Amino acid sequence: MKRNSIVLSIVLLLLAAFAWAGWANWEYRKQAAEKRLASAAKAELVADGAGTGDLPHFVSPLMSHPAPGFTLEDLSGKKVSLASYRGKAVLINFWATWCGPCKIETPWLVELRNQYASKGFEVLGVSLDDLDTDDKKMLANEKRDIAKFAAQEHMQYPVLIDGASIDKPYGGLDALPTSYFVDRSGKVVATQLGLTSKDDIEGNIHKALGE
Amino acid sequence: MSALGLVAGAACLGLLGLGVLAQSQSPLADSSNRSILHGAAVEYLFPEQVTVPAGKPSPVAFHFRIAEGFHINSHKPKEDYLIPTSFSIPETPGVALKDATYPDGTDFTLPLDPSTRLSVYTGEFTVQTLLVAQRGNHLVQASLHYQACDKNACMPPKTIPVPIDVIGN
Repeated sequence: MKRNSIVLSIVLLLLAAFAWAGWANWEYRKQAAEKRLASAAKAELVADGAGTGDLPHFVSPLMSHPAPGFTLEDLSGKKVSLASYRGKAVLINFWATWCGPCKIETPWLVELRNQYASKGFEVLGVSLDDLDTDDKKMLANEKRDIAKFAAQEHMQYPVLIDGASIDKPYGGLDALPTSYFVDRSGKVVATQLGLTSKDDIEGNIHKALGE
Repeated sequence: MSALGLVAGAACLGLLGLGVLAQSQSPLADSSNRSILHGAAVEYLFPEQVTVPAGKPSPVAFHFRIAEGFHINSHKPKEDYLIPTSFSIPETPGVALKDATYPDGTDFTLPLDPSTRLSVYTGEFTVQTLLVAQRGNHLVQASLHYQACDKNACMPPKTIPVPIDVIGN
């Protein structure tokens, strides 16, 4: 009886050690996996040290698919539809007044739009600024702020508002600036997340123009 | 002996099962969709509960942590187009926010725009408040409104809940 109890205790001890080892191993793997996940998630937004491009490639499920159609108002209240640009290469640039990197990128877009407009290229600047549609006074102030930003940045291309209403078909738009380059047939041929470089944008404009 | 054997057998199977389960399960099985892009760049740390003298303005410090690689605008950003960080408590009969003091921001410049200095928070920061609580136990849903960016992109403005149990006695 005494011998049985000793054997049983040893077996239980060994099994407890096995269970503890399993738990410790699981904890270790969990921490390692969390570290990998954290660095992978960070890589979606962080560029190289110089900040001059080489962002990890942003792969959108929309690549090689037709750009989701939309109709939005511009700052004057005129309705603008993506479909009306069929036959042109279009850069759909999602931005907001509170987005510092967008402020850096916008002058590049203005220059590139002027440079390539004659080839059939257009930029649609879609603002993601919140709009209080239930409060007329607030709405007027918000539109005024967007218009002020557009004027300061010399955005001579169509500036559309209420971009949040089309964020789902465009992948949620979790970070700005986000750009979709659409070719003359309406297909997405390139995408960019975050601030890259003027050269990168120009390269993608060439893709959209089919050059 | 048979009862002892039964108990020992059950214990053995239980421990064995735990070990095998721990080995076989994916460490992130419960968090497969986590991504900082879809989550909050700012996390509320503490306190979860405070006890203050009823009816008297009392200092309470709220602590937050910003995810590595990100910054948020300070309470007083240098440009008027940027969204300031702000702390608020909804108007309730039990607890009132009398004052909130924010830390000074630190200077930050984007690599591609070194001429523009931003005032931001990074890492951990604390909002010092003065709360007035009535006698009793109050579950308060305070909130922090902020807008986060890294050096190349910005996330939309976000409001995170700051749940706290305020006891006035």
